[in-house]
Amino acid sequence: MGAQRPDFAEFYRETKDECLFAVMVSVGDRDTAQDLVAEAFARAWASWPAVSRHPAPAAWVVRTALNAGVSRWRRRRREVPVADLALVADRPAAREPAGDCVDPRIMAALLQLPARQRQVIALRLFLDLDTERTAQVLGIAPGTVQAHLGRAMAALRNGLIPTLQEENQS
Amino acid sequence: MNDDELITALREQRGKVPMTTPVEQIISRGRAVRARRRVPRVAAALGATGAAAVAMGVAVPATNPAASHRASGPTVKLAAWTVARQADGTIRVTVREATDPAGLQRTLRADGVPVSVTFTDRRNPACQTSNGPLGNVAGYGPFGHLTNAYDHPQDAFRHTQDAFRHAQDAFDHTQDALVIHPSALPPGDGLQIWTSGASGAADNFQLYVALVKASPQCTGS
Repeated sequence: MGAQRPDFAEFYRETKDECLFAVMVSVGDRDTAQDLVAEAFARAWASWPAVSRHPAPAAWVVRTALNAGVSRWRRRRREVPVADLALVADRPAAREPAGDCVDPRIMAALLQLPARQRQVIALRLFLDLDTERTAQVLGIAPGTVQAHLGRAMAALRNGLIPTLQEENQS
Repeated sequence: MNDDELITALREQRGKVPMTTPVEQIISRGRAVRARRRVPRVAAALGATGAAAVAMGVAVPATNPAASHRASGPTVKLAAWTVARQADGTIRVTVREATDPAGLQRTLRADGVPVSVTFTDRRNPACQTSNGPLGNVAGYGPFGHLTNAYDHPQDAFRHTQDAFRHAQDAFDHTQDALVIHPSALPPGDGLQIWTSGASGAADNFQLYVALVKASPQCTGS
């Protein structure tokens, strides 16, 4: 008898927040991300016998959500709006206690990255995928993943660290 | 603050935005997805090839009759993949199971598409990524959509969109469809199609497409 597959409800409970955040960083908007992730989880449920055997089911969900976003964009023939910081802050997250909100400076810095760099950050740092798996999910070479990650980290370092250090000193 | 501290600061953010959709709602939506999936399978089988043709494994478009996929009904089987030339000159490729890549490659080449097809993680090493304006346009992501369209300038994206176009409403990952526009391929370029994940059974693979330099060793011409 093979290894027991995780229960879908348990998988959903354990990964939904990190999937949402990974997609939110990629599409730049919480409401859009939440709907895309819900759709992706629904598809995961519909194919759970197969998805549960995937080496990284959470990555499957994120990838499927991002694909759904591209598909919608295609249908609407207009850019998926990358929300500005105020929009992100004012949406449902703003209803959470202030201490639980995403740091707006970090979110702003992430949203300034090119889309592919955001996707790499989302998969590598927020889903904890390794380089090989990230490359497979995104359909790019491992070296390209490394390059995107390096550029993204450099951009975040330049844009974020001075601000955070300034805050720490004050 | 060093890189490790920066990474920690980034990772600390991920739990701060809760996904509030109840699991019951997800499952309800999943049931709708499953129901939607069943209808086009049977409709496609009966409409595109005719009930008798499907039952016999004979199809009007080029298909892989050796492999089959059991649909919702007990007697309806679909080919693992289908290649159909459209009236507008485009070629619609539907992949349901990642089997017989050589047959798919042969069929597409016969339709004038310079292409390399492998249904494994190991892409044809003879293929070189195109250096054209599109660069490394990989990213026909899992179950069907270009994934890095946002990375390209507007011109490249339009070009990309013309070269590969995902069929409307074909998002269902057991019903992958890719529409190739041969006339939109840049001169000297071809396509490389491959999968990641387990090959064979539906639901277990992800399909990718990249623009590559056409060559006899890679795309056959």
